[in-house]
Amino acid sequence: MKNRLKVLRAERGWSQQDLAERLEVSRQSVNAIETGRYDPSLPLAFRIADLFGMAIEDIFQRGE
Amino acid sequence: MASETFSRRPVWLWGAAFFVGMFGTGFLARWFDLPSIPSMLVMIPPMLLLIPFVRATERAQAACGALSPATQRYNRRGLAWSFGYVLLLGVAVIGSRALHAQGPLLWLLAVLPALPILYLVWAMARYLIEEQDEYLRMKVVNAALSATGLLLAVATVWGFLETFELVPHVPGWAAVPVWAIGLGLSTFVNRWSEK
Repeated sequence: MKNRLKVLRAERGWSQQDLAERLEVSRQSVNAIETGRYDPSLPLAFRIADLFGMAIEDIFQRGE
Repeated sequence: MASETFSRRPVWLWGAAFFVGMFGTGFLARWFDLPSIPSMLVMIPPMLLLIPFVRATERAQAACGALSPATQRYNRRGLAWSFGYVLLLGVAVIGSRALHAQGPLLWLLAVLPALPILYLVWAMARYLIEEQDEYLRMKVVNAALSATGLLLAVATVWGFLETFELVPHVPGWAAVPVWAIGLGLSTFVNRWSEK
């Protein structure tokens, strides 16, 4: 699954640590999601979408 | 990157010092045919190396953004069961000889060293329940499954070799160190593959 997390984070000037704290997850989790090594669960995907005020499908797309 | 490399280095040093210390003193105790009490006493100093080892591990986990409150609690519980194991093993070995234990007392002493291991199983279960970070939890679950697979493979192959009298008997408690080695190997391989 592809995602725009890194771009969205950069647009807001947040570091991975900033995003991790806002999502209440580890920085390693944010890094794993951004680099596509880990696809988040639906609840976490909703938290990410809520944080950015977007729909899940606007952040995560099908594909490798 | 440089700071991460620096922060991980002490983990290897403390880990190596701990294992060399434990195996080294154990080997020397056998080499010099030390009685059980002195054998256990000489293993206390290397056992204490677990404390800086765990601290260095936590610093490295924090440096790579993987130290959660649940992980910290698991590490503390890990220290508790390690020291508890050595203490109760000592009580069991020394107690059974000193008291010439038989019957129910021997049963009680024999089961003592198993209690910290059961605590370890409980601590692992508590970690999986308490860990709020799904990615960190998934990594531990994957490592535990790999370790369980290794243990099943080793135990099965060894068991049949033992049945055909090709290898010596190994006590059942050896399952724990084999599983722990599998957990460590799996964690190392996963970390290496992420680089």
